[in-house]
Amino acid sequence: MSTSAIRPLYWPIQWRRNEGLGALYIVLGAFVVLYVALFPGILAPGAVNKFVQGWFPTAMVAVAETIVMLTGGIDLAVGPMVSLGSVVAASTMQTPLGVFGAVLAVMALGAGTGTIVGAFVAIARYPAIIVTLAMSFIIRGTALLILPRPGGFVAPAFSDFLAGNHPTTIVLVLVLVMLWKLYQATPLGVGLIAVGDNAEGAYRSGVGVVSARMFAYAVSGVLQAMTGLYVAAQTGSGDPLIGEPLTLSAIAAAVLGGVSFLGGQGTLRGALAGSLLMSILINVMFFMDLPLVAQYVVQGLIIVITVALPRLRGARSHTA
Amino acid sequence: MTYLIRSLGRSLVAYVVVAGLWITASSLIPGFGVFAHLRYIVELGAIIGFAAIGQTLTVIGGGIDLSVSAVITVAAILLPMLSFAPDTTGLGAIALTLLVASGIGAVNGLGIGYLGLPPLIMTLAMATILQGVLVLIAGGSAISVDNAALTWLGASHAVGISATIILWALAAAATLFWLHGTRSGALIYAVGTNPEVSRLSGVPVQRVTLWLYVAAGLCAGIAGLLLLAMNGQGYVGIGDPYLLSSIAAVVLGGTSILGGQGTYLGTIAGAVLLVTMTALITVINASEGWRSMILGCLILGLLPLSGRDRSR
Repeated sequence: MSTSAIRPLYWPIQWRRNEGLGALYIVLGAFVVLYVALFPGILAPGAVNKFVQGWFPTAMVAVAETIVMLTGGIDLAVGPMVSLGSVVAASTMQTPLGVFGAVLAVMALGAGTGTIVGAFVAIARYPAIIVTLAMSFIIRGTALLILPRPGGFVAPAFSDFLAGNHPTTIVLVLVLVMLWKLYQATPLGVGLIAVGDNAEGAYRSGVGVVSARMFAYAVSGVLQAMTGLYVAAQTGSGDPLIGEPLTLSAIAAAVLGGVSFLGGQGTLRGALAGSLLMSILINVMFFMDLPLVAQYVVQGLIIVITVALPRLRGARSHTA
Repeated sequence: MTYLIRSLGRSLVAYVVVAGLWITASSLIPGFGVFAHLRYIVELGAIIGFAAIGQTLTVIGGGIDLSVSAVITVAAILLPMLSFAPDTTGLGAIALTLLVASGIGAVNGLGIGYLGLPPLIMTLAMATILQGVLVLIAGGSAISVDNAALTWLGASHAVGISATIILWALAAAATLFWLHGTRSGALIYAVGTNPEVSRLSGVPVQRVTLWLYVAAGLCAGIAGLLLLAMNGQGYVGIGDPYLLSSIAAVVLGGTSILGGQGTYLGTIAGAVLLVTMTALITVINASEGWRSMILGCLILGLLPLSGRDRSR
């Protein structure tokens, strides 16, 4: 009885989550077509794999940012956290801890830092933008102290496993989606969106506001640190500044994907599509040999236009 | 005016911390309490202070300006390129630079006020676009400045106080008068508290927002010029440190990041506080990593003093 009552709702709800993403899908589709038309070679299996590997870090941080933004917060420490993850990975892998120890260390680092940020935001109730701003300084400083300049050691086998000629990364994307579904199926996942939408109402309805928020920051921290691990595997070393540009990419990708700054609104598919658009954009412009200037300008314009278009249409229908 | 007095308490904390730091440091570090050194600190604070005028205004108005650093860099690179022979005083080039800076702010304001884009996105996109344009016009090279008015500004003193500080004091007075002494200043608080209610009450929300960002662009432009006067040359990236420090100054000064609450009076102390911390960290000769870490911990540590936001 209960399953038959729920089943028919599943797909309509899934479909409704695409609402407001139409403009993004169209722009994304256009760029995919442009990309394939310009460089047919991208369709080869090996090239797809390489593309996914290039996209993966942006996708990961976009999802990490989305989780925090869903609670109504924002994370300005994403980039430094990725750097710190890569630094920790590259400096623990040569110790007796080995690859397994390095992965564990990076995960613990992300969860720990995320929990600290979450405590400041959820328990002490300081604005997330300031807490993460201050944290970005602290994390950057820590990374610079551990490894002042790029270096360290990443096991070649580990690099090959993650960023070599195997479709490992594609599997990781699927795992990411599955884990998200799992997260959403738990009370903490339901609380995540409820807290961002209406914290007071969520509290009155019995949602653990503090635990939902803290867990969100911890999960986001793990994702960010793991991105650092992946980047370290890709480059074969740790770099205390490698993540810097990712803070803005993460926010831009999430916003492109329709994740609201006010919390409670946004989807994983939006964040993934947003980050995919950014990646394709950069790739297309790179292959077209456009000067760096054009790359920056086009990136800025695409963000503004994709966000402005639905609003313009909304405004017109309001007045009409 | 009554609001100014009420919010004084919140900003007073930052002043007390600055005074405490100065007194402690002066007694512990020889040479710190010398007038010339303290004046230098305030001079450095003036650059953050100017950038933070725009940041305070936009934050009180319920927004934020992430293009501050880009506009500072634009001003610091544009002025040397605009210095031409017939303009012997250099004032023409300065006016033109500030016009461009205000124009950038106006574009921000149009996007946020009239198109309804989130401030974070609009100013972030603007910063990205400017970044590209800057790389195009300046490349990787530093451009030296030769501007009579700017040189004068960097070198003049009146009764032992440098022109930079006097300029900051004047701008601070003007900002405080706008915020607390005029009708349009009151509207900024209204917009920041609740834009929807403000709109329904007949506040020209779109126009107020536009002027906020124009002012922010102008102030960032002036900050860029002061930085240029101090530095002698402009290059891509010169303004980068000022984005985070302008936001930090606003928050340390007790202005709520959620909008509708705060005063520039606190931001002044916040700016001086930041520069003092940086100076102290330099004195103890910390490495780049330690410096960054200490600064972050200090901002976190001072958060309880500047008040928290209980609204959520």
